[in-house]
Amino acid sequence: MFAEESPDWNVDLGGSADCELCGEEPATMHLLRVVHGAVSHTHLCAHCAEGVAEQTEGLALVLAVPSVLRGLSKKSSGDQEEAAEPASANREEKFCGVCGTTLSDLKESGMVGCANCYRVFADHLEATVRREAEPIEHLGKVPIRGPESDSLRHEMMRLERMLRELVSHERFEEAAGVRDRLAELGQRLGGAEA
Amino acid sequence: MSKNALTASAVSLSRNEAGKRFSHTEDAEALQELRAEVVGALTTDHWERPWRVYDLDAMSLVEVNHLVERGLMTPAFSEEAGEARGFAVYGNNQASLEINGVEHFHLIGFREGDQLESLWSLLSVLDDRLEAVASYAFDPRWGYLTAYPGKAGTGLRAYATLHVPALMLTGKLAATALELVGRGLGIAPLWGGAGGVVQISNVARQTGPESDIVAEVENMSRAITEKERSVRKMLMREHPVQARDQIGRALGAAQHAWVMTFHEAVNLISAGQVGMEQGLVEAPGLAAESAFSLMSRLQPAHIVLEHMEVKTDCLDSPEIDEIRARVMREVFAGAIVR
Repeated sequence: MFAEESPDWNVDLGGSADCELCGEEPATMHLLRVVHGAVSHTHLCAHCAEGVAEQTEGLALVLAVPSVLRGLSKKSSGDQEEAAEPASANREEKFCGVCGTTLSDLKESGMVGCANCYRVFADHLEATVRREAEPIEHLGKVPIRGPESDSLRHEMMRLERMLRELVSHERFEEAAGVRDRLAELGQRLGGAEA
Repeated sequence: MSKNALTASAVSLSRNEAGKRFSHTEDAEALQELRAEVVGALTTDHWERPWRVYDLDAMSLVEVNHLVERGLMTPAFSEEAGEARGFAVYGNNQASLEINGVEHFHLIGFREGDQLESLWSLLSVLDDRLEAVASYAFDPRWGYLTAYPGKAGTGLRAYATLHVPALMLTGKLAATALELVGRGLGIAPLWGGAGGVVQISNVARQTGPESDIVAEVENMSRAITEKERSVRKMLMREHPVQARDQIGRALGAAQHAWVMTFHEAVNLISAGQVGMEQGLVEAPGLAAESAFSLMSRLQPAHIVLEHMEVKTDCLDSPEIDEIRARVMREVFAGAIVR
């Protein structure tokens, strides 16, 4: 069985993106307290969350999950820039031609409507969802039946990461081999896409 | 390490069909078509074990909750509406598939004990086979695409269910939670925190090979289990009378109560289990099965389907609490505090 999903997977429209204790730092932690069966949620910055955690005693339980989607809420930095734009700009709001999802929809629900949304709203998603992720490329499994170009790109990203590692450790001879392999895959990718 | 502290494992994979919009924006007709196509594929002999396809519309509230209580269905999917949803269970409950929930496909594997790696292996195989009929929405940079962009990447979620009452009682779980957050993991109470049963999972971490994510959840589970063990020792050393008192009271209630809520039962079993592991309690009935298994079968839908002759469709029926108390009396009969 599964614990109830954290409300953080859904964007809390009413919630503030600022810490609910100090009101100064961005709220990057979500603290969930269960005291005698009663559940309460608080959004705090890392510093305040640490303070609350240290003060917690007895049966009070403090749990924390990251506010990964906090950046999608209305107060994200990207939105502040957009808020400065005149209201008439809304008429030309960015939208996905495949599913009809608008940037406002995305900000309100935290959901995209289709695969094409990832291209249409790439800037917004990169600035919000991906801002804290370390590597920006996918390192996991790839579809077996996907286009050859997908697996080639995936392999190239893996090799590029390896190349950076090798160069940083001054293992230039091995790096040269990886660079050649990258060039070869680059040519194949060009062919596959053509 | 106490082998009972990691009580259950679960892995899930989220996938979407490339040629279709995600469930919340797609037409009902297109989703029904997708469901029919996938259900058709599940009922072929393409699989090592057969799939059992469920008709969700024909199921009662109790039957649906029974699936949730067994870890075969997520609570979120059970509460969603939509006529195009589909559901199927693989083999002897080894895995299950939610169709047209938030994502088009949500593969789930749930088992008692430390089974994360084997669950990931199984789900990866089922994922590959499912791809014979589906064409997954994928981007080389983002990975598998999902309706919530924060979940895009591997689409994998690994869950470890832990029994950590001493950490919870002493408030030391807070520091652990902060440490987890730093690693992109999260912790949540399983049954409202009853019995100190919590679930950790990779809430934010979607990058990296799947095996690394699974290993991270496993490693953190083991570290938390170690902490739990040392805090239990500390409690027994520094507060021996209070510890015996709490455990003794729990046994008394378990042996003599005639009405019992699920949360109370989980708390009492948790105390009995700690007492047994610390050598304070002899409870042959509890020793015969895992505490987690006993907790699981005392959930409301389990009681209705396994103990009641006339199956009520009300999960708040007072009779459920009476039956639960009876089962507890039977399990704890003859239990003693040394």
